[in-house]
Amino acid sequence: MTVDDTPLLEIRDLSIGLRGDGVGYDIVRDVNMSLYRNETLAVVGESGCGKSLTALAVLSLIASPPLFITGGSIMFGGRDLTKVSTSEMRAVRGAEIAMVFQDPMSALDPMFTVGTLLTSAVKAHHKVKSAVAKERALEALADAGIEDPKRRFDEYPFQLSGGISQRVMIALALVNNPKILIADEPTTALDVTVQAQILERLKDLKDERGMALMLITHNLGVVASVADRMVVMYTGEVVESGAVDEVLASPHHPYTNGLLGAVPRLNSGAGQLVSIPGRVPQPYELPVGCTFADRCDRSIDICGVERPVLEHRARTEVRCHNPVG
Amino acid sequence: MKAVLKTTVLTLLLLLASSFAVFAAIRLSGGDVTAARLPASATTEDRDLFRHQLGLDRPIIEQYFTYLGNLFTGDLGNSLTNNASIGDLAVEKIRNSAILGGVSLLLVFGIGIPLGMVASLRRNSWLDTGITSFSVGGMAVPNFWLALILIHIFATSLGWLPSAGQGGFKYLILPAVVLAAEGIALTVRMTRSSMIENLNQDFVRTLRAAGLSERRIYFKHVLRNSLLPIISLAGLRIGQIVGYALVVETIFGWPGVGQVLVNGVLRRDYPVVQFFSLLLVFVVTMGNLAASVGYTLANPRLRK
Repeated sequence: MTVDDTPLLEIRDLSIGLRGDGVGYDIVRDVNMSLYRNETLAVVGESGCGKSLTALAVLSLIASPPLFITGGSIMFGGRDLTKVSTSEMRAVRGAEIAMVFQDPMSALDPMFTVGTLLTSAVKAHHKVKSAVAKERALEALADAGIEDPKRRFDEYPFQLSGGISQRVMIALALVNNPKILIADEPTTALDVTVQAQILERLKDLKDERGMALMLITHNLGVVASVADRMVVMYTGEVVESGAVDEVLASPHHPYTNGLLGAVPRLNSGAGQLVSIPGRVPQPYELPVGCTFADRCDRSIDICGVERPVLEHRARTEVRCHNPVG
Repeated sequence: MKAVLKTTVLTLLLLLASSFAVFAAIRLSGGDVTAARLPASATTEDRDLFRHQLGLDRPIIEQYFTYLGNLFTGDLGNSLTNNASIGDLAVEKIRNSAILGGVSLLLVFGIGIPLGMVASLRRNSWLDTGITSFSVGGMAVPNFWLALILIHIFATSLGWLPSAGQGGFKYLILPAVVLAAEGIALTVRMTRSSMIENLNQDFVRTLRAAGLSERRIYFKHVLRNSLLPIISLAGLRIGQIVGYALVVETIFGWPGVGQVLVNGVLRRDYPVVQFFSLLLVFVVTMGNLAASVGYTLANPRLRK
């Protein structure tokens, strides 16, 4: 793997908060992550940890109000995406950074054919004739791994299976040749066999086109098989990040360790599924110290008083007072 | 397409059944036709003879089929009050009512949908609050009251518009507005809520992520999705306009089907009431059929 020195996308100290009548708390806090050319970065964490929100913020797709970016920056191509105008953001969406969403069945407009959706996306960025737009749409469908692009072109979303819908969504993301593809749990709603095909396709596309892929997932198996680097998030913060083989082989944060321990293995014999004890605190009730302290078996005195910072270790970064190993 | 065919067949059956219901209701509603037409001095024999001439002494079923037969051969019968041919009467009355109803229907959708869209686009602004309050008012105010108030303001006080009668565009404004008021109000609300609901659908985020402009997302994708419930209830709007036409035409002296029907009932003019009631049933049923076919054609799931 060759990695460029300057990141393609750099999220710096990003905070996203909920602001409304009398309420105000941050859901994502001081998140840092970088995405380099031709690499796959996995963002891992439980539901509600802020991983999707972080991804949505890149394209200004967070529901605002009530959510707002309350701090930090998202650098892309020398610009801070949190500060660009609506029209500049529109030019980035789909053309430079594209996104694939979780539930393909509800993410496609039911009233229009696959072809209309794809050609509209092409025409949103390029002044081209319909025939050209159609050609690009058919290419994108083929690239997304659809067997019979011409037939699918004239079909409506309700006529497609979940797997095909997801491929259509990938085609919609690819049709304008973006530099970055953000996939937000792209396979969660799909059958396991289809999941593998879609992931394989995404990985190949990344290699063929030299794209950068940001994969939001809660599935560590997926991370191990496709990602180069990973970021683990918990309660809106990055708790650990580093090369996938490094982090998975020797996790330093007790939460990452717990996540790995919770992965069911066929050869571990019969018995109960392992889980991390306790529950995730809500963003408005976070403790003063480490947000994981209450659930952590390595908790020491300082964990309850002082919020740990992200510290560099040999080849990873960890936010922990008492890291593993 | 199979669904459209099925709806059409069902509609025709419904039409047949309701035509009998209307026919029977008029026969069974009591009242003596001879009292209205013959002098008080007429003998019982005279009255029986008169009923016999009209065929009223035969069983209802038989009368019904005779009437249906005549209807299909174009013989609509004559009015009992002035012996005028109902066929001739109908052409003029239907034209007048069609003008009034058509303009009202245009107002319902032509004003209701854009206002609803504006409200959804600027939701929770003063404009939205204004439009929403206006539409609540439109639903709450009874049309006969609205008619009187508007006549008072625009005809009596300001003298801008005629209070009643027919002749030219000016005469059309007040009755059309009154007839459309409730429909506009309901369409505004439905458009607004439907647009807001669709704006929160996942597909909107997908379109945004693909770089489509807000205008295109709103006016093409969200609108197209939001029109479905509006189309499906267009049949109800048509029925509402037909029903209200009875009141509104009478108040504004608009010489249409509603007015002739109300007068027919007051004079116990059976053939007139019968024909025009059936006509209203026909229009309402056809309106529903059109809405149902429109819904099917607009919805790719049903079309395919």
